[in-house]
Amino acid sequence: MTPSRAHIWFVSPALLLMFLILLLPILVAFGISFTSFSLGNSGAEFVGFKNYEQIFTRSTYEKMFGATFRYVLTVVPLTVGLGLGAALLIHSLTRFGDLYKTIYFLPVMSALIAMAIVWEFAFHPTIGIINSTLERGCGTFLEGWNWYANGCEKTFPLWLTNRDYAIWTVSFIGVWQGFGFNMVLYLAGLTGIPRELYAAAEMDGAKSGWERFKLITWPMLGPTTVFVVTISFIRSFQVFDMVEAFYPQGGGPSKSVYVMMFAIYEKGIQQNLMGVGAAITVVFLLFVMFLTILQRWLVERRTHYV
Amino acid sequence: MSNIRLNNIAKRFGQTEVLKGVDLDIEDKEFVTLVGPSGCGKSTLLRILAGLEQPDEGQVLIDGKNVTTTRAADRNLSMVFQSYALYPHLTIRQNMMTPLKLRDLSTSQRLPFIGPFFARKEYKDLLSQVDRTANILKITELLDRKPGQLSGGQRQRAALGRAMVRNPLAFLMDEPLSNLDAALRVHMRAELTQLHQRLGATFVYVTHDQAEALTMSDRMAVMMHGKILQYGSPEDIYQNPATAEVAKFIGSPAINILSATVNDYAQICIDNLVLDLFAPTQEPKISIGARPEHLSFSDKTPSSISGFVHHIENLGADLFYHLKIKDEERPVVIRSAVGNGKRHQIDDLVHFELDLNSTLAFASDGTRLQTHRRLMDEIAS
Repeated sequence: MTPSRAHIWFVSPALLLMFLILLLPILVAFGISFTSFSLGNSGAEFVGFKNYEQIFTRSTYEKMFGATFRYVLTVVPLTVGLGLGAALLIHSLTRFGDLYKTIYFLPVMSALIAMAIVWEFAFHPTIGIINSTLERGCGTFLEGWNWYANGCEKTFPLWLTNRDYAIWTVSFIGVWQGFGFNMVLYLAGLTGIPRELYAAAEMDGAKSGWERFKLITWPMLGPTTVFVVTISFIRSFQVFDMVEAFYPQGGGPSKSVYVMMFAIYEKGIQQNLMGVGAAITVVFLLFVMFLTILQRWLVERRTHYV
Repeated sequence: MSNIRLNNIAKRFGQTEVLKGVDLDIEDKEFVTLVGPSGCGKSTLLRILAGLEQPDEGQVLIDGKNVTTTRAADRNLSMVFQSYALYPHLTIRQNMMTPLKLRDLSTSQRLPFIGPFFARKEYKDLLSQVDRTANILKITELLDRKPGQLSGGQRQRAALGRAMVRNPLAFLMDEPLSNLDAALRVHMRAELTQLHQRLGATFVYVTHDQAEALTMSDRMAVMMHGKILQYGSPEDIYQNPATAEVAKFIGSPAINILSATVNDYAQICIDNLVLDLFAPTQEPKISIGARPEHLSFSDKTPSSISGFVHHIENLGADLFYHLKIKDEERPVVIRSAVGNGKRHQIDDLVHFELDLNSTLAFASDGTRLQTHRRLMDEIAS
């Protein structure tokens, strides 16, 4: 009896498509990252690790890493923390929970590029609602705060165009936009915790909310947390549209908001330096892959309760 | 020492009245079962006793002290849940340590890493307490496993261990055996009874299984529609049910209920058959109850009832004959030992008699009627 080959025919379309549209582009990007290829040029030169060398030596890219990590390390803890906090508060409600859920989820559903325009107006130094509100507080007790007094005397910061504030302002919007998503994930995780466990904890003598959180809620949310943290990392590494909307040229004041995704876009598309763009892409992919592997490892090791 | 009193407990969930003024007295070291069909409020009553639920009315007294507003954590009771509610991320040892740590250690002693280091003696004491309890329940080799790695019966033991490891005033159990298979359930019934004797503690046990209630308890409370219908020893409830509902709920197969009438001489009649049994009632229509073991096959006599065999249940030692009799919708079940007389076949016409000493009579509203073998005035004269 000859073994049937039918399985090859069943599997091959899926395999072929996966290779063509998922794996091949990565391999191509990997290949291009070692050349000085640019679109329109007939040929390209092999330059070895020169593109990578640039990324790790030039100050522009130092700023890129700085901005990216500042953004990621601000946004991830805050979105995870606020998402968990909001989920716990909403979960404890007997009424209006759905209403709050919808409200907090609104920024997630909106297009960030449109929201960026709204925030740009709000942060406008003269006509923006933020600074004009802050000015109203001048002459009150708030002036006891040095920073506030300074603002009243001169001007309040130009949130989006001041080198010292820009990345934090962008991070703030990132948090505002992102935590609702984590909240929904945490809410799903919370509904999966059996209520009897809390009754058992009460019988065992866990009196404070903090003790119950430590004993049950936090460990039971372990798998959710690993997922939420990973997805938050990947999402914040991918931040782009907001930066593009605020600073179409150059990535913010003194490149202080020059995040990786924007760098790829600027180098690869705007300046047509495909080789460098591809190299940044590969570095970016390595980050994301590292995070994913870390997540898998954590899921396998710690948060499995079987 | 801990006797428990529940005074006039009422509880509403929205519009539904779950408990309608329940009183219950539980003596020290007693094994009390709350038994009833699902939705009768027995679990709610247990949760109110535990402090996990607040009653709308009434009081909970433990040792004469009103604890109605005391929270569950401060009542010093322990509970075994139907789902066991073990902490899935902790090993069995850690699960059993949890109530000890939360109750016996200070906040600083409970700190991770530092706590065990500075309170080495306390931790050692607690761990030896865990080991002792594990020994009693024979779960020592399971202590380092997580609940997910255990079978249902082992989890049940671990949950019992977590409840037993400290010395609570009473053990509350909410259908702890209902997730086990039949054989294990019977085995655990015996083991729980032994454990109760060994610990000498008060047990309050909730179940919907009347067999569990009959086999295990010192006293059982039959609950229905948010009320306790009868509270007494298993024998008393089986032989002397206060209402038709109790009689129907306790006992398997269920008691046979036949419709009957009372004639002018207060004699109970089934159809045309006049029984030698008297019930002092004005109501013409009543019902009588007779358990399967109180019916016996007989020849055709003036006092026998006849019916057709409709179904036969063979339980090995006993046969249960289901008979169709005239004007009765539900079949009548008769118990007969195997090898006791002739074996009947399906569709046979058979005759049976009632054991009048054990026959119960109920008024049309279900309340129990006292029956006599002779009329009252005859007794008086």
